[in-house]
Formats: sequence, structure tokens, C-alpha cells
Amino acid sequence: MAQQRAGQKRKVVEVPRPEADESEDEIVEGLINGELSDEGESEEGDSDSVEGFDEEDEDDDDLASDEIPSSDDEEDVRQQLRDLKTGGREITPDTKLMGSETGKEVSLLSHETAVRPLPRDRSDQQNYTISTDANGNPRFIYGEIDPVYDSDDSDAPAGGNTIGDIPLSYYEAYPHIGYDINGRKIARPAKGEALDSLLDSIDIPEGWTGLTDPATGQPLKLSKQELEVLRKITRSEVPGDGYDPYPDMVEWFTGKGMEEVMPLSAAPEPKRRFVPSAHEHKRVMKMVKAIKEGRIKPYQPISEEDREKAEALLEYASYDVWANEQAQADHPMNIPAPKLPPPGYEESYHPPPEYLPDKNERKAWEEQDEEDRDRDFLPSDHGALRKVPGYAQFVKDKFERCLDLYLAPRVRRSKLNIDPESLLPKLPDPAELKPFPTTCTTICRGHEGRVRTLSFDPTGRWVASGGDDGNVRVWDPSTGRQVWQIRLSREEAVNAVAWRPSEDTCIIAACCGETVHFLIPKNELCAPDTEARSQEVLSAGFGYATSATTSKTASGQDKPAASTWSRPSAQMQDRGCLLTLSLHTTPKILTWHRRADYFTTISPSTNATSTAIAIHTLSKHLTQHPFKRLKGLAQTACFHPTKPQFIVATRQRIRIYDLQQQKLEKELLPGARWISDISLHPSGTHLLISTYDKRLLWHDLELGNTPYKTLRYHSRAIRSVAFHERLPLFADASDDGTLQVFHGKVVRDSLENATVVPLKVLRGHRVTGVLGVLGVVWHPREAWCVSAGADGGVRVWT
Amino acid sequence: MTDVSAMQKQSQVRIHLHTRSGDIELPQDTGPILVSTELKRYQLSTLVNRLLETEQPVPLEFLINGQFLRTSLDEFLTRNGISAETTLSVEYVKALIPPLYVASYEHDDWVSSVDVLSASSQAAAWAGNRYDGSTQRVLSGSYDGVLRIWNTSSEVVATGSGHTSSIKAARYVSPTQIASSGMDRTLRLWKCDETTLTPTLELYGHKASIDGLAAHAPSSRILSASADHTVGVWSTKKAEAPEASEELVPNAKRRKLSNTKPVTQRGPLSILPGHQSQVTDVCFDEKDATVGYSASMDHSVKTWDLTTATCVDTRTTAQSLLSICHLPKSSLIATGTSARHITLIDPRASATNVSAMTLRGHANFVSSLARDPMSSHQLASGSHDGTCRVWDIRSVRSEAMDRVGEAVYVIERESAKGRRPIAGEGVKVFDVCWNREIGIVSAGEDKQLQINKASS
Repeated sequence: MAQQRAGQKRKVVEVPRPEADESEDEIVEGLINGELSDEGESEEGDSDSVEGFDEEDEDDDDLASDEIPSSDDEEDVRQQLRDLKTGGREITPDTKLMGSETGKEVSLLSHETAVRPLPRDRSDQQNYTISTDANGNPRFIYGEIDPVYDSDDSDAPAGGNTIGDIPLSYYEAYPHIGYDINGRKIARPAKGEALDSLLDSIDIPEGWTGLTDPATGQPLKLSKQELEVLRKITRSEVPGDGYDPYPDMVEWFTGKGMEEVMPLSAAPEPKRRFVPSAHEHKRVMKMVKAIKEGRIKPYQPISEEDREKAEALLEYASYDVWANEQAQADHPMNIPAPKLPPPGYEESYHPPPEYLPDKNERKAWEEQDEEDRDRDFLPSDHGALRKVPGYAQFVKDKFERCLDLYLAPRVRRSKLNIDPESLLPKLPDPAELKPFPTTCTTICRGHEGRVRTLSFDPTGRWVASGGDDGNVRVWDPSTGRQVWQIRLSREEAVNAVAWRPSEDTCIIAACCGETVHFLIPKNELCAPDTEARSQEVLSAGFGYATSATTSKTASGQDKPAASTWSRPSAQMQDRGCLLTLSLHTTPKILTWHRRADYFTTISPSTNATSTAIAIHTLSKHLTQHPFKRLKGLAQTACFHPTKPQFIVATRQRIRIYDLQQQKLEKELLPGARWISDISLHPSGTHLLISTYDKRLLWHDLELGNTPYKTLRYHSRAIRSVAFHERLPLFADASDDGTLQVFHGKVVRDSLENATVVPLKVLRGHRVTGVLGVLGVVWHPREAWCVSAGADGGVRVWT
Repeated sequence: MTDVSAMQKQSQVRIHLHTRSGDIELPQDTGPILVSTELKRYQLSTLVNRLLETEQPVPLEFLINGQFLRTSLDEFLTRNGISAETTLSVEYVKALIPPLYVASYEHDDWVSSVDVLSASSQAAAWAGNRYDGSTQRVLSGSYDGVLRIWNTSSEVVATGSGHTSSIKAARYVSPTQIASSGMDRTLRLWKCDETTLTPTLELYGHKASIDGLAAHAPSSRILSASADHTVGVWSTKKAEAPEASEELVPNAKRRKLSNTKPVTQRGPLSILPGHQSQVTDVCFDEKDATVGYSASMDHSVKTWDLTTATCVDTRTTAQSLLSICHLPKSSLIATGTSARHITLIDPRASATNVSAMTLRGHANFVSSLARDPMSSHQLASGSHDGTCRVWDIRSVRSEAMDRVGEAVYVIERESAKGRRPIAGEGVKVFDVCWNREIGIVSAGEDKQLQINKASS
């Protein structure tokens, strides 16, 4: 075909042909010159550039013949190159110059190698016969075309010049060099003078060869390595680096010491290699015998079972990884197979028509978000299983499965399944722990300024309170009525008030300033006989007073002066104050012994630590200072309810002294910075300590000297704490204006710990300044407590 | 459709009417009646009045399952989840008319005690013909130790001062005799006429404040509750009473100072020990005057046989008891507790439960109780929370542990002006008395004696 087209073309462009012929002739001559006579202008003059031909010499030849009549100085090199490429070259001029006879001749001339005359002959002959068709017109019947498969035309590189077999000289007058198959102009590459001028103006770039790439018309560039390789090839050297064509011989089997390791021996082959094996013969005979006897059946048909097994194996390899799974014990690594529901009708390839979605259903399904779909396929009907198309989502499914395997945790985490409620200690419901105070039922108002101290009378009918106004007031806790009142001082506050713990007397001891007053309330609060007894008790000591003092003087000089027991003025006696005890310190705390004869006063802010704690005997009007030197600042003290023990609290320590043996029994380390109050459980085995550093400490005296429990519930300092005498209750009073009531049950059994349950926060007192509630006392029987507020109110909580 | 809904709307329920009061009993048992569930109290009341054929319609209340009907029957059934197909047992009672504020009598100090003399009062009943019933008097005892008698136009008719300390209890024994007691440990009898109040007898025997009194004129007995843990039995007759013990009578010196005519002093018939703590209130059994009941802070109610001066029975509750009242018809004792409720105690030996019923609603100590003179199902209570509450013991519902009743009406203190101060500060009610003519009279910390009456 190509040949024919070329032939037709030639006919068409008949006119400019002679010029082309001429030029071609010249060029061909030039080429011949270059080839044969080593002459010619060496425009390039570079042996390297010649080697660029090695791939596409035919095109290069073509171009070179067109423009640059190349000639080489190193003729022998060129010759060698030519020789190497003979196979390629001998065809090239032939096809190139197919169009012209001169070209053909030239090619014939130029090659000493064999020339095929066949294509020339063919092209000369007419490849068609003319016959007459049905209408009588001439009809051309074309013969078979020999495609000449090994011609250059057919396997010319695709990226080459496609202007066809037109000589470039035809286009000398034009800016282009021809047309491509689509009729578009192919631009003429820059060349000749333009290139020369360019070369004059610039340096020769790296890898410049001066050759033109025949495929693109661009200048051909070769790297250094490539040039080196070319150079080596042309000199018949080994092209690669680091290859030694003449290595030294390695003497494997010769030389000294090598004889012993020779693996071969010259011993002759043993005989057994050439005779039949007796052992094998024996075994064969055995089998033969077995066959003869019928023990082995050589061509036994395969049993049905075996065949089925084999077939099943062959038939289908289903990848059910869980098919043969055994029930396994629960193990974190074992994940049981998910139970899938059996397939339904809608999953069939040919489902019953009622399972097929109608238009609306299909639309709805398609519009739904992929995640919201109730199933990930639409039932569809196929006439036969073979018409079922491939699963469209296959890749996606597999991908998601892989994602699952990759991202999903393989290890089953055993979740720590603990109900947080169960971690809490089992506390009884406060409702079960009734009664306890819940509301304020009475407010006793009357004190001006703070109420500092409170005390219930032993029968629980009255509450005495003392405050900053220097008054002691007695209240009816159920109605809030003030039933009696006495002013002890105009300037000084009443720091402590305590009823004598005896039901057959009615005596209040009140500390005001440096004096302790003993009061018998008037207003018929107590029966006449009680009153009489109370007076007796108070005056009983006057007989002893002198003797006691004298005995003391004998032992020590300063002690009798430490206290003075005396009768107050008649006016005071008339008002109810029947006895005074003057100390030289300011007692802040007064605590009665259970026998109601002894009481202790504590004067914390004294310089003389020896007189800070005094134990007084009412019946003898005797005052003793049990501690010559007290470590720390005395804060409060109390008597043990059953044992002859005395508990002293200094600012940071609690010490328990045995009064009979007069020695230190125990020392507690509550770890508090400043103890405010202590309360001993009626059983005497538990001690509550309230501190100014917001803590309430529960000490089990039998357990050790550190707190059994620390309760931190208040936001401000705790001022006071009190155990109920009968009920398992205790309460504390704090500067944050609240009282907190706890259930604190103490069991006689020493193995069982005491239970402490917070019950109620009692709010109501107003915080004045930084002070809230200053004191709390319990009713001797009922679950009622009374609190003294810095706001001047006494509140009864029931 | 409309017909069906109309039918549904007019659905009917079967009710069975009955009552416990004899005067409004139906002539014959009607059996179950079909009534529309649309009916409310008023229509039901009209219906029953028609059945009763009364000339003057009596306003009635209806109790279903211990609850007063306040809505339509339909709503009631819905709310309580009762099927309309069951036969409802409907008890009808005479309507309790809300007591409205009438007047306040101003005092100088807290008023601790109050009693009423009128035609229907107990004292008048005991006096019989000797009292014409024309004069209505209100007696008040105050913390300032003065006994006052008021007429109904809020004027003090007579005052009696003799108590050296606060009066805690005062009662009419008869229209001419008054008993009073107080923190001065004495019980005083007064003779009263139109304008004067003269002390007739001073009774000594208690060693502490006498907080409660109960009088029974026919047997001329007075019961006293004292803080010295005892109950005293006294006679109103000078001749009957023994001499007072010397120890308890205050010395003559003070008497001379007081510069008044000496009053006869007598002692108790008996002093009944047994309580572990203060006795707060006493009452007679209204059927049998030889039986007395006492309530104490030691949580117990004791039944006393007064003739033999022995304790017959002790019922222990869980709270301190502050007041007591006998309900003769239901044989119950109502006690006001410090735990802010009223416990109804069955004093009979056969009773298994100490508490037959609990009336809840007060917010503070229940300091006094008074029975409705017209009915034995209703009572009024005064509390330290500053309210008086009116209860109907037929209105009751069962809870987990107990039968609980709620107040029918709440009477606020007029002086509080609608406020309810914390802890009843300033408005505590100390005593309450319910009289048919005068109404509910209550006294308290606000120094007022307040009268509320149902307007009918």
C-alpha cells in the first residue's frame, strides 16, 4: 500500500521533480563521497557525532543526505560502524529513494552488499488488470500487494517525520517541510546558518554532539557515560567498568595441601551398583505373594465414602472459617461466629414477584442514605442463575471487610463491670436511723451579741445559755420562753455555763471573767426541796475552806492565793448567785465530773501554764492545779465517764491521765493543728475531736493514737462537737453557720468498727463576722439539740 | 359519633350511700343507686337531701375511700384509678364549714391556755339547770400569771391574779368555778361571777410546773399533769381535799409580803407517779370519769384508774407527746407529738397497734388538741408552727406502714399576716378550744386569743 501511495504521490507532484532529483543526486553523491573517499568538509568533525547513528542511522542518513553532507576524519571508525550495522543499512537507501530511479541506482552503487531487485520490479509493473464491469465501464482489478514486511517503511518509528517520501528540497521555498497525514504543516526545524550563528553566540553545552536527532529534528544530546560506552565499543573494548577480562586463576584442585579435600576418589565402583537388589526382590516377592493370596487387591474400586470425601474436597472450597469450630471456653481471644439469619426469599435470584420492589420502593431505597437502608441490596429477578450479573459491590465489600479486620479490635476486652454504687460503703438509710433532729422548732431570742455557751439541765427541761452580754439565761426549749435571767457582768462575757449533773440539785456554774459563779435559778424552776438541797451543796464547802487552804499552804506558798471561794453580795444572792470562785486566770471551759462534786476549769490563754488547768472540789471548796508544767497550750478537758481518768486537750495533743495513779495513760496524735473541742462518748471508749482546721476526728481510744476516722464536711472551722448521752448521735457546730448531725453507733464488741453516717445538715444560723455556730448541746433524752449562734440566737432542733 | 360520646360522657356509676351519724340517716337503705359520674358534691348533697326529705337542706360532704369528694365523680374515679363499674361506697357526713376569722383578743403576754363557757360547753352541760346558757365567756390564762375572762365583744370581764409565775393551764370546772395551774407549781380554784374572779382554793402537791389540767365536775375531780413526772388527782371540794404538805407550801414570809387574804391551802387526793419524764397533758375518759389518760415526754400514754390511783396501761410511741384528747365515739386517744404529727392511739388492751392512725401536716410541735363538740370524728389541733388545723379522722388513706390523714382546714394566725415564720417564731399556738357557739378559739405566742368560726 505504502508503495502504491508513494507511486501515486509521485505522479501528483510531477512538476518540481527534476530539481529534487538534482539535489538528491548531489546529496547522494556527497554521501558517496563521504563514504568512499574520506573527503569532504568536516562540518562537525567529531567522531562522537558519528556514533549517534547507531540506532537510527537510516533517518539520520536521510537527513544527513538532505542537509549536512557529513564526512568523517576517522574513516576506519566509520567503516567499522557501518560494518556493524550492515543489516539495517542496506535497506535504507532502497526504500528512501524508492521514488526515483536515480536513487535506486545510487543505492545500488553505494552498497556493495546484496540488493534486492524485487520491489523495483514490482513497482514498475502494473499491479492491476482492467476488465469491463456490468455497465461496460472499465474496471480496475488490483492484484495482491506484497506488503514487504521487512521493508523499512512499515516499521518506521511512529514518532518520526511523517512527511512521506517527498524530498525536503521540494519545500525549500516554504517555511515548512511538508504535511502530516492530517494535512497540517510540519514546521521546519532550525538548522544551517541559524544554528551556526547560534553556536557562535553561545558556548557548546554539555553533551552537545552537533547531531540532529532524526526522530524529532532536535539536536541530539549524549551523556558522558554514553559517549564513553560508544567510544569503548568502537575500539572493541569491554564497555562496562570494573570488568576484568583476565582474572587470575583460582587453583581449586591443585597446589599444596589441596589433595586431601578432593571429593572424588579413584576407587572402582562397587559391585552392588551393578547387581539387582536382593532386598527389593524380597519385598516385591512379598507383594506378589500377597496378591496371589488375595490379601492385596491391586485394582480395588474406591469405596463410596472415600469418593464422596474426595469429591467434597474437590467440589467447592468454601471459606467458612468458622465451619469446624468447636465450642470453646470463654476466652478473650475467642470471638464466636456471628449468628446470621438464614437467607430469605428476597435474596433469591428469582424471588416470588411479591418480593420484588415496585417503582416507589426502588426509588425510596435508592434515595435512602446507604447507612439507613434496611438491607444493602434490592431484590431483582433473573431468568436463570447464569444470567445473574457479577456482584457490583464485591470490591467495596471486601474492602470494608478488610477495614473491619484492620480497625476492629481483635481482643475482647473484659469490661470492668462494676456498679459504682456498689463501691460505696453500705450506709443505712437515714430514714431508718430516726429520730434525729431535722428542723428548727424553736428560736430563743434575747441575747445581745454572741451566745457562747449552752448547757441542758439534767432533766432536759431547761437550757442555760451564756453570751457576750454577760447574762446567763435559762430557756424553755419547747416554747422558746426565757424563764430566768441573771446578769453576771456588764463588761465581760459569759464563757462557760454548765448545769451540775445531778437531778436533785439545780445549780448552774457559769464562768464570767475570772470568776466562776454558782447560780440557783429562781422563778420556781426547781422544786423547793431541790432548791434547799442546792443551797446546802453550795454552802457545804465553807467549813472546809480554811482547813484546805492551810494544808495547801504547808505544801506550797502560791497555791491558796490561786483561788478564792466566797459568797457574793446580798443583792447577787437574792438574784440567784450563791457562790463565787475567783481565779487569777480567765477560765473558758468548765466541765463537771459525773459525781457532780468535782469540776475542772481551763484557762487557755494564760501565761502561766501551771494554772491553766484547775480541778476544783465543790464540797470542800478546794482548788488544785494538777499540772506543774503543761506541754502545749491547754484547750479543753473532760472527765472520763466511768474510769478515774482525766482527758486534757492541748492545742495539738490529747493526753489521758489516770487520776488515781497520777500518771500519763495515753497520748493521742490527732494530727490537728488546733483543737477546738472534744467530746467523749458515754461509754468512754471513743473520743470526738473538733478542730479549727475544719476537721472532725473520731478516735477509738482502744485502737491507737491516730484517728479512726476523719470527717471533713465543713467549709469553716468547727467550734464544738457533742455526743448524745443515750442515742447514737453526735453533732458538730461550725463557723460556716451549719450544724451537722451524724449517726455514730458504737458497738460494745471491739471487733466491730463504729459506724458513722452523716444524717443532716442543720442550717439557720446567720454567720456574723467570721463566726457561725459557737456551741451545740444535746437534750439528755430526746434527739433534740440546741445550738448557740454568733447571731445571738439559741436554736432548738428536733 | 356525638351520640356515643354523649353516652360516654353521661356514664353512670353505682353508689351506695351510708352515714355514721344517726340524725341524717336515710329512712330506708336505698341500695346501690345509679348516678351520673358528672355529679359533684353539691349535686350529690341535693340528691341526699331530697332522699332525706329535709325541709332545710343540710350541706353534706361525701367520703369515698377515706377521701373527701372535691371534684366530680368522674375525675375522682380517674385520679384514683377506680373502675366506674364498681359499686362505690359513699359515706356522707355533715359538711364541715371552713372556719373564718372572727376576732382577736389582745393580751399583755403570751397566752398559754384558753377555755370557753357557753351553753354547749362541757362545764355548762355538767352544771345543768344552774346555768342559763345566756352568757358566753372565754377564759384565758397568760404567761404573765393573770387569768382573764372575756365576753364575746372582746372585753375583759374579770381578771384573776394570784399565780406567782406563768399560768400554763386554765379550765372551767363549772360556770362558776375555774381551775388554773402554772409554773408556780400550784393549782388554783377560782370562783367566778359576772365581774369578779376570787381565789377559793390553792392546791399544793406538785414539785414542778403544772402544764395540763382536766376537770370533771360531776365527780368534782381535777387531773393535773406536772413536769415533776407525776399526775395529780385533786378534788374541787374544800372538805374532800387533804391538807397540803408543809414542804411544798411556800413560806409564810412571802405570803405576808403579798399582803392578801390567805387562801385555803389543800393537798392532792393522790399523786400518781409512773412517768419517766414530764407529763404534758391529761384528760378524762369522756365515758367513764374514773379513767384518766396522761401524755408525757417519755413517749408514753398512760391510762389511770383514778379510784385506785393505779396505772392500768402504758402505750409507748416513738415521740415525745405534748397533748392529749379523748375521742369517745371511736374510742381513740389523739395525742399531739413533738414529731409534728398527731397520733391516734387505741387505748384498749386488745389493740395490736399502738398507733391507729397518724394525722400529718403540722410543721412543729403539736401543742394542743380539741375535739369538735358536734362530732366525734373531727378535731382541731394547735401547733407551734403557728397554725391550727381541723382534721376529720374519717378522711384517711393507707400508706406503707400507717393510716395517714390530712387536714381539712388550716387556720393561720391572723397576727402572722399570712407569713409562716421559721420555727413558728412569734406565732406558736399553745392552746386551742372548740366550742359550738364561739367557734375555734386558739391562743399563742403572738399574745392574741384568736377566734375562728364557721359561718353557717
